[in-house]
This record gives sequence, C-alpha cells and structure tokens, in this order.
Amino acid sequence: MATASPAVRRRRPFDVPAGLMRVWAVLVYAFLYLPILFVVVYSFNKGRRLQIWDGLGTRWYGDALGNEEIRQSLGVSLRAAALVAVLSVVLGGTAGIALARRGGGWSKPFLVLLFMILVTPEIVDAIAFLIWFVRIDMDLPLARLVVGHSIFSSAVVTLIVRARLQGLDESLEEAAADLGATPFRAFRQITLPLMLPAVIAGALLAFTFSLDDVVISSFVSIAGTTTLPTYVFSSVRTGLKGNIAAISTMMLGLTFLALVIAAVVLRRSGDSAEEVTATLTGA
Amino acid sequence: MTTATVDRPARRVTTPPRRRPRAPRFVLAVPASVWYLLYFLVPLAIIVLYSFGYKPASDADNAGTIGLDKLSLDNYVDTLQDEAFVSTFRSSVRVALIGTTLLFLIAFPLAYFLATRVRPRWRGLMLALVIVPFWTSFLLRTFAWRIILAPNGFVSNQLQSLHLIDSPIELLDTRTAVQIGIVYNYLPLMIFPLFVALDRLDPALREASKDLGAGRVRTFFSVTLPLAMPGIVAGLLLSFIPLMGEYVTPEILGGAQGLMAGSLVVSQFLEAQNWALGSAMAVVLVLLTMLVIAFFAVVASVIRLVLARRRHVAEA
Repeated sequence: MATASPAVRRRRPFDVPAGLMRVWAVLVYAFLYLPILFVVVYSFNKGRRLQIWDGLGTRWYGDALGNEEIRQSLGVSLRAAALVAVLSVVLGGTAGIALARRGGGWSKPFLVLLFMILVTPEIVDAIAFLIWFVRIDMDLPLARLVVGHSIFSSAVVTLIVRARLQGLDESLEEAAADLGATPFRAFRQITLPLMLPAVIAGALLAFTFSLDDVVISSFVSIAGTTTLPTYVFSSVRTGLKGNIAAISTMMLGLTFLALVIAAVVLRRSGDSAEEVTATLTGA
Repeated sequence: MTTATVDRPARRVTTPPRRRPRAPRFVLAVPASVWYLLYFLVPLAIIVLYSFGYKPASDADNAGTIGLDKLSLDNYVDTLQDEAFVSTFRSSVRVALIGTTLLFLIAFPLAYFLATRVRPRWRGLMLALVIVPFWTSFLLRTFAWRIILAPNGFVSNQLQSLHLIDSPIELLDTRTAVQIGIVYNYLPLMIFPLFVALDRLDPALREASKDLGAGRVRTFFSVTLPLAMPGIVAGLLLSFIPLMGEYVTPEILGGAQGLMAGSLVVSQFLEAQNWALGSAMAVVLVLLTMLVIAFFAVVASVIRLVLARRRHVAEA
C-alpha cells in the first residue's frame, strides 16, 4: 500500500534516452534555423560588405528593389515558375490519375521512367537540356526554362497525385458513374475535388522548385532571361552584397506566406494538421 | 499519405457498371510519356552518343560543335587517365559518403524522437519546422554559411574573444566547408523518409517485443531497425545520389580546394567547350554513382545473410 506508489514511480525513472533525444532535437533545429536567421539579420546590415556587420539599416532593401537586374530576373523567375506549375500539374495530374485508376501493363515501365527522372543527377539533366536545345534550335528563352524545370517537377506531381488517389476509395467515382454521370462530370464533381490537395501541393512544389533552381537554369538560360537564382549565383562569385540578403529575405517572407495560405486552404478542405504537413511536403 | 480508408474492404453487391467502350488504359499518361521521351530520354541518349564523339580542332571557340563521324572511347580513356579527374572523382565519392553518413547520424535520432516520443498534436508543427528550411532558397541557405564561417565575421570574432579559438576561422573555401554546407542542405531530405518509415511502425510491435522480455537495445536492433529498413535505404539513396552530383554548394563554399566532380563536368561545358569530354565525364559520374550503390547493396545483403544464418544457429 504505502509501497505501491514508489514502486509505480520506480518503474518510470527519468527517461535518459528520451532526454538525450530532446536535447539532440533542439540542437538539430538550431542547426536548421541558424543560417536562415543569419541571412535575415545580415540583410539589415548597412555595411558595404555583407559578411562584416556595420550597423543596422535598411539601405540594401531599397537597393534590391531599385536594382533593375534583380527586378528583371525576379520577373523572369516568377513567370517561368508559374508556367512550370501549370504544366507540371497538367502532365503530372493526368499521369497520376492514369497510374492510380487505369494501371496496367504499362505502369511498370512508366514508374521506372519516373524513378530514373528522380535519381538522375541534376547536373546531368542540365547538360542534356543544353545539348538538346542547341541541337533542335530551341531559342525561345522562357520555353527553355519551363521545359527544363518541368521534367523533374511533373514526375514529382505524378507521384503525389497517384499516392493521393490510391489512398481514396474508388467506389465514389464508380457510384457517380452508376448514377449516370458522364465521365467528365464524374471527374469534375468527384475526382477533382478529391485530388485537389495533391494538386495544390504539387503546384506549390513545382513553383518553388522552379523559383529555386540554379543548375538547370544557369545552363539553359540565354542572355536576357537570367533568373533570380542565376543572378544571385553569379554575384556570390563576384562578392556578396547586402542586396542579395535583402531580396532573399523578402522571398523567404513570400514563401512563408504561400505556405500559410496553402496550409489554411488544406485545413479548410478538412485535412488534419498531420495530413496538411504530409501534403505540403509531398510525403 | 492518407491511409485511413485503404483497409476497408469494398463490399458492393450491385452489379458492376455497364462499361462504355473505353480508350486504352494508358491514354491519360500519353502526354507525360511523350514529354519525357522528347525531353528526357532522347537528351540522355544524346549525352551517351556525344561521349563517343570528339571536339573538332578547327573551330575552337564555336560552342556546341561536335564531331560524330568517328566514334571512339577516347574521352573515357582521357577521363580515367587524367590524374586531376580521378582525384576529384575520388574526393567527390568521399564527400558524398561522409555526407550521407553524417546526415544519417544527425537525422535518425531526430526522426525517431519525432515518430515515437512527440505527441501527435505537436508532431505536425515539428515536422513543418523541419520542412520550412527546405522550402527556402537553396542559395540563401548555402551562402548563409559564407556569413557564418567568414574569418572576420561575427562568429569568428566571438569565438576569439571567448578564447575558444586563437586565430580566425579558416574554413571557407575548403572541403570541410563543402561538407558542412552539404549536410546542412540535405538534412530535411534525410529526416523525412526516416520519419515516415518510423512513423508507420505500429508502437504495439515495440511493446510486444518488450513484453516478451527483450530489452530496449534488443527491441531497437531486432524490431525497430529492420522494419524501418526500407525507409532508411530510401533516405540514404535520396541523399547520396544528389550529393554525388552536387555542383552549387562546392562552387559557393569550396573554392579551388573543394572542387567536386560536378564542377569538372560543368567546366568542360561552360569553359573548355569540350562537350564530348564533358559528356563522357557525366556518364562516368552516373556510372560511378550506380557502382557505389551496387557495392553497398552487395555488402548489405552479405551482412543480412550472415546475420540470418547466425540467428538460425542460435535458435537451433
């Protein structure tokens, strides 16, 4: 009786592994966020050289926004990213539906192809695009970027859409057909709303992938269509200035905003917090 | 992935719906297939073709010209005989292997913690926090390390004034800086598959193991780890493959010392303008990556075979 409570307590001593894991988690999160914090703080550095702190100031924000090259490259990046998102959703969405609902003998080779796309080093893709675009004389600058970015993104979207549809009961779509809906109507009223989270996640992934890409962009872009990452990449070599940190911080803010909006949309459509995270990360 | 509705058996007694004459089952995959054929398979095949070609001597500065009239293995011979190429390739493999190992060692405890010790209501937020850095600009995350590691920067000065180090940090433009940058950039890519794999394990399995008398360590090594193996392998591959082809991180953080194989390929294309040699090097890079993976796959299956035999003996 009197010994009961200490006995119970003794069965749960301080959980040493769990304690260590908690400390480890804190350290890893610090590691993940420290560099980002540095960039944000140093974007308010008013000194001429980015690495050397010289007092607080927002001068580089003005500089970044007024810089013609940055503005132009950001415009190119955003246009390319929007087109890549649309194209990837169309290609990946249709292929994903086909895999999840119309699978057959063709699925296996197709999945092997997707796997190849995912594991080919980006640098190899980049030179392949360069060679091919020169070979077929494709000189529409934006199209080069969009095609280059669309391969990997649409493969990812395909897998996300397939995963989403496979997790859903097919009988809903069959019921619509039984009740006399045309295939198009069944698609619009049943399938499309069900796969919407996957489409949103896929579009977001494709958009950010394109917006962030350096390797393929720097290979396929021609004069006049420098993307923002390509511009940043070349200025890293010539010497960092605060305007790069400022524009990066602004982009970071936009990314956060987009993520929050996407999370809210998904939450509204009835997903749990964990599902929202899973969708946003494409897992 | 949502798995909530998967397990319910479809119990329908209605007659199957009348089938309309249908298009072939793969019709919806046609656009993507054509796209991949045109802009993935054909370009890759052309790289392989170019790798057997040569750079015409006549027009040195004409980018993209290539001789294909006599095909040979010369570019491969050149690649594999050149001391500088071979040593850079070797150091790439080393950076990628050390990187993958570090990533696993850093990510696994965290993934395990998230999957087994964090309450579900916090888990979503903690996972989102892992992913957010991954959604921020790759370049931003990389050049941040130039600020942190700068010899005359804040961190260096603080550490010196605390007398933790005697002289300024001298890591920038070395292989160590590349290693740090790479581990940092790919960490979310490693954490996520590990988490998914561990999260799918039913906690009841661990409890059953403990109820049957296995200790913590034994439960971990003979229940948790084997069951999570597919996710672990996925995580390792997802990190190792891109690490082998890394080009941006070494370019920003590594300077001349931190050169990796990707940079060599790039310089053949953008500077030397020898597309034939560059293509051969790209092919070598891919083959080498596959070779390393195959090597570890063989080692892993040998280990598994030995372990299985030992267990057999122990049980008999």
